[in-house]
Amino acid sequence: MEIPSETLRARIVNVFRPLLIWLVIVLPVAVGSAQRAVAPKPAAFAAQGAVTARVVAAANRFLATLGDAERARCTFGFTSSQRTGWSNLPTGIFQRNGLRLGDMTSRQRDAALALVAAALSREGYQKVTDIMNGDEVLRSAGGGRTGGRQGATAPGGAGARGGGVRFGLDEYYIALLGPPSATAPWMIQFGGHHLAINVTVVGPNNVMTPSLPAAQPAKYTLNGQTIRPLGHENDKGFALINALNPAQQKQAILNYEVRDLVLGPGADGKVIQPEGILASALDAVQQGLLLDVVHEWVGILNDEAAAAKMAEIKANLPRTWFAWSGATKNGGLAYYRIQGPTVVIEYAPQQGDLDHIHTIYRDPTNDYGARLVVP
Amino acid sequence: MNVRRPLVWFAVLGVWLATPAPAGAHRLDEYLQATRLSIDDERVRLEIDLTAGVAVAREVFAWIDTNRDGQISNAEGDAYARQVLRSVLLSVDGQPASITLTEIRYPQFREMSLGAGTIQMRATANVSATGAGRHQLSYFNTHRSEWSVYLVNALVPTDPRIRIAGQQRDRAQHGLTLDYTVRGRAPWARTWSLLTLLAMAGALSITRWPRAGARA
Repeated sequence: MEIPSETLRARIVNVFRPLLIWLVIVLPVAVGSAQRAVAPKPAAFAAQGAVTARVVAAANRFLATLGDAERARCTFGFTSSQRTGWSNLPTGIFQRNGLRLGDMTSRQRDAALALVAAALSREGYQKVTDIMNGDEVLRSAGGGRTGGRQGATAPGGAGARGGGVRFGLDEYYIALLGPPSATAPWMIQFGGHHLAINVTVVGPNNVMTPSLPAAQPAKYTLNGQTIRPLGHENDKGFALINALNPAQQKQAILNYEVRDLVLGPGADGKVIQPEGILASALDAVQQGLLLDVVHEWVGILNDEAAAAKMAEIKANLPRTWFAWSGATKNGGLAYYRIQGPTVVIEYAPQQGDLDHIHTIYRDPTNDYGARLVVP
Repeated sequence: MNVRRPLVWFAVLGVWLATPAPAGAHRLDEYLQATRLSIDDERVRLEIDLTAGVAVAREVFAWIDTNRDGQISNAEGDAYARQVLRSVLLSVDGQPASITLTEIRYPQFREMSLGAGTIQMRATANVSATGAGRHQLSYFNTHRSEWSVYLVNALVPTDPRIRIAGQQRDRAQHGLTLDYTVRGRAPWARTWSLLTLLAMAGALSITRWPRAGARA
């Protein structure tokens, strides 16, 4: 029996129509809902936009305190080489550009620090302050004798005696890359010995990778208070490794020593093969502990941007690795690394010295806001 | 696959570990040798960054500045780089791979003397006959081991056909053994994509015909 050609076409159409409907309607809806699971909600987006407005205002207030020459020394193009020109090393070893706190008037200095505070969370700014105060303690003590390889003085002591190596509270620098804007990308660089904070602002998005918070001494006393700038990073790391059962620890603990950061300054764009245990092999409590460790770095940035970043990291948790090397008893020497699709964190005591800690926080997909900035 | 060569290297490591470290060894004395390896199906790229600690910087500089004029000439720089590479053993599937220096950068002596300057070496090794299937790469570095601490890592391969399946290191990270697989090239992949697109276009055009007929 011959089927009329129109009938044949109609039958074919009937067969393909559900597929086409699925492709045209269902697939975009599914993709969209998957994206929305990670993308900030409108209210959160508005809150992030408000933070950007606050940071822009603080930047403009700081710039208004500067004369022309100071402004020229402090500002750079957004895509200039200054963007990757950061380090944990002290002045005299590393040529840091921007305006030095020690060269500012008190009004300028207050405005510079107010800008840093506006970009960071309250806890994050406190951490930065604790790191800087620790460096001042190190300077006052003529320290820096350990950790010679990275961020230390020449043999024999600190300050100018060490071939012009200087550190302490005055030796932190601020630089702005690109004019402060609520829409166009720009960046705040703040750093000195044992500190590099890079905040890229792209519209409502604030990104704090790469950044390097470090500490030497890791514990000191100031005004009668014991300060441990990276104490939570240490304690929460040990809490996590000790929350794993023996089988999980066997996966997580590397059988070799890691004596330094693998992806420290200068290692932009490198993605190493991950190791350790996957977070998908952890239970909900252990995953919570892992996220709590991660938040010590992510949460340096303002709360709104940190919440968005944490949501992204949480969505990628099944593909996030945790690796540990060294002692598992708190107080021992240990290195750890957390590595996921959009985060890399390393915690590395330097050269066997528990009083000298370096850490790094990166996003292999979004360092310097690379994912957000249209070339 | 030849597994004897890695065994020889680990025997070398055993002898080295049995040798006592110099009594004066100290944290400041460290010479950091950080290596990153990247693999594709034709070559292995090596990035070796060497950073001398404050207390050993003068000695390291003296190893390089052999005529003691306070400068590192191109010839001295190349000679030292080749000396480093002679201490590096690299093999794929048990076959030694010859390493070629492609770039070397030296910091100023002042930077080195402050424990901050890093010597940056870049090298490649051509790897023949590593087609689809399982492979093993072995890397071992013994350069100035009495002074040094080591980091060695593999970068995630940029070629999606290559997947690292396992990593083993010795405790001090002198060596890294990588097990990896290479998927064969899929000649039908593009054809399949093209056919899918054609099928979708065909389906779309069919859906339009009856409506045209109805209007007529």
